[in-house]
Amino acid sequence: MLDIILMIIIIVSAILALIQKDLLKAAILTGFSGGALAVLFQILLAPDVALTQAIVGAAIVPVFIALAVKKTQRGDA
Amino acid sequence: MAETQLAVLFTSIALVVIGLYAAIFVDNIIKKIIGISFIEEGANLFIVGIGYKAGGIVPILLPDMDPTWFASNASYPLPYGLVLTSIVIGASTLAVMLALVMVLYRKYGTLSTSVMLADTSKQEEYDE
Amino acid sequence: MNELIPLMVIVPMMAALLISAFSKFDKVIRIFAFVVAICLPIIPLASNYGLHFFGGYQPIVDNVTNIVYHPAITYSFSFLQQIFIAVIGILTFLVVFIYLTKYKKVSGPYLFLLFMGTASVTALILTDDIFHMFVFFEILALAQVGIVAASSIDYSYEMALKYMILGSIGSPIMLLGIGFLLAMTGTVNVTDIVAIIRGGLLDITSPVFLLSLGLIFFGWLYASGLPPFHTIKSGIYSKAEPHGAALLQSFTVISMISIVIIMFRIYSVLPIFEVLIVLFSVIAMILGVSLALTQTDFRRMIGFLAVGELGFIGLGIGLGTQFAITAGLFQALNEIVITALLFIGFGAIVNATNEVDTRKLGGLLAYHPKVGIMLLIGGLAMAGVPPLSGFQSKLMLVQASLSCGYPELSILTIMVSIATFVVFVKTFYSMFLRPKPHDLEVVDKDVPRAMVFAMAVLLLIIIAFGLFPDIVTNGISSYVGGMLQ
Repeated sequence: MLDIILMIIIIVSAILALIQKDLLKAAILTGFSGGALAVLFQILLAPDVALTQAIVGAAIVPVFIALAVKKTQRGDA
Repeated sequence: MAETQLAVLFTSIALVVIGLYAAIFVDNIIKKIIGISFIEEGANLFIVGIGYKAGGIVPILLPDMDPTWFASNASYPLPYGLVLTSIVIGASTLAVMLALVMVLYRKYGTLSTSVMLADTSKQEEYDE
Repeated sequence: MNELIPLMVIVPMMAALLISAFSKFDKVIRIFAFVVAICLPIIPLASNYGLHFFGGYQPIVDNVTNIVYHPAITYSFSFLQQIFIAVIGILTFLVVFIYLTKYKKVSGPYLFLLFMGTASVTALILTDDIFHMFVFFEILALAQVGIVAASSIDYSYEMALKYMILGSIGSPIMLLGIGFLLAMTGTVNVTDIVAIIRGGLLDITSPVFLLSLGLIFFGWLYASGLPPFHTIKSGIYSKAEPHGAALLQSFTVISMISIVIIMFRIYSVLPIFEVLIVLFSVIAMILGVSLALTQTDFRRMIGFLAVGELGFIGLGIGLGTQFAITAGLFQALNEIVITALLFIGFGAIVNATNEVDTRKLGGLLAYHPKVGIMLLIGGLAMAGVPPLSGFQSKLMLVQASLSCGYPELSILTIMVSIATFVVFVKTFYSMFLRPKPHDLEVVDKDVPRAMVFAMAVLLLIIIAFGLFPDIVTNGISSYVGGMLQ
């Protein structure tokens, strides 16, 4: 059951990230999707992949995007 | 329990489709890049889904396990190794793309691709 | 000495990392880069043929089914790999040499990119493992983007970003294709996959197999710049520094042939595979030449001609007989050398005049006769004029398509060759022979000696291959024969 919930979280937060007007919120939602994916990897019996994905998908990628947004502009225009 | 594997397949395809839509049709460059990272995540999820064995165990051989029992119950570890590499590659590609975007923002002052990337062809048309 | 096989990849890669780490010490890395660049063509020539298993995991024979499994990442090294790696090594040496003599202060990161690109194409052509191929395909894309972005030409960042976005759409799609193949066969080793397909353990009519072909094919189109990616590919050539462009096109050619050889081994059981390759190659030939005809920027023109030449390679491989594939691979080898010569030569002209528009140039033969004559010979070789190397490979292609029963294709090949000749002669006339326009200021400085030296070396290779094609074609032909059975 948990896996289905996680998949719904992944897809919904991916869609939400792409319809945000505020790019910082989009970055945070990307991290949400990546973090849920990490937990899903754990359920799919891949703990090593889950660790990497938790670091990369939930921390590094959103931080990179947030840094880029900070150096450029926040609004989607 | 093959339903989990099927659901994983659907999720990964959905992520790829969402990402492709964003990468092709959305104008904002940061959102395009977010979309690209979704395509990569979808591909990774798909490959992990291949290795998954319903009701299996994590593919780590502990000393007190019987190897034959392990071989018939563990999930397939080769795809997991591949996905590890692919996640790291995806993160580095993303970093390079964002760095290029930051340089180009200083020049154009906007994140819109129709302004930022269309200019090369316009300049060439102008030359002709 | 099979230990030399992994060294072909490790040496440029380690050199790249060391150079980038110690880029403060200008003099040291200058000498170091030069020494490594000399070693690059020597290692493949000194090495013996054979297989290398990483980690020492030897193949395992299943006693019940008598099938051999390869648990390790495998590098296979034979004549084909040897000749291509040697040529790419010579080219890297020349490009590094030009770069080192051109700038007073060398940039560590740029040398890093050049060596990293060389390492990744070497790994691409050596590997027998589709995932390994994917990893180096990605590293190669990053290195190419870096080489383009590092140039000082206007709009190079935009072009690099565009190429990168297309690349990062293309490579996960290719990864999905590899994933489907892995799901069906349970292995990523090409030899094992081929054994499974030949053994009838896989349903080759299943739509999943076809889908994986489509996805990997898309990645191949991106890597090789065939349509619909021909515009972006010629764009990155024109936005890179000329010596960088010479290396970039060789990366394109090598990644094209190494991926297509792997695809051919896996998918040649599907009849649609060869049709697809011939179709895209023919489109590339026609589009490349006709777009080259309309260009006024000569770097862009060479870029489109290079894309058109890729079509010849694909045509040879798509025809699928031993003779045709040999012709295609020989054409690939010739194209690497000829296009590199043209890029370096036209780069010398940019260096001397700061002008890229052919309409504003003229009368350069009086100023730079050596460069002009070498460029002329290079262009004639590309168009396929005897006795140069391009003639030999194109003649083989025409014979191959005739003997396969497609006279239409051989007529098309000849027509595209003639069009290439027209494009080149037109450009050469307007740049070198026409009276000099009044407003053109020729900066009266010599072409760098390193560039002339590089062109002379490449020209020697062209003439040698043209006069004695057998030294290459015999070896390639026996490799292809082994691949087809």
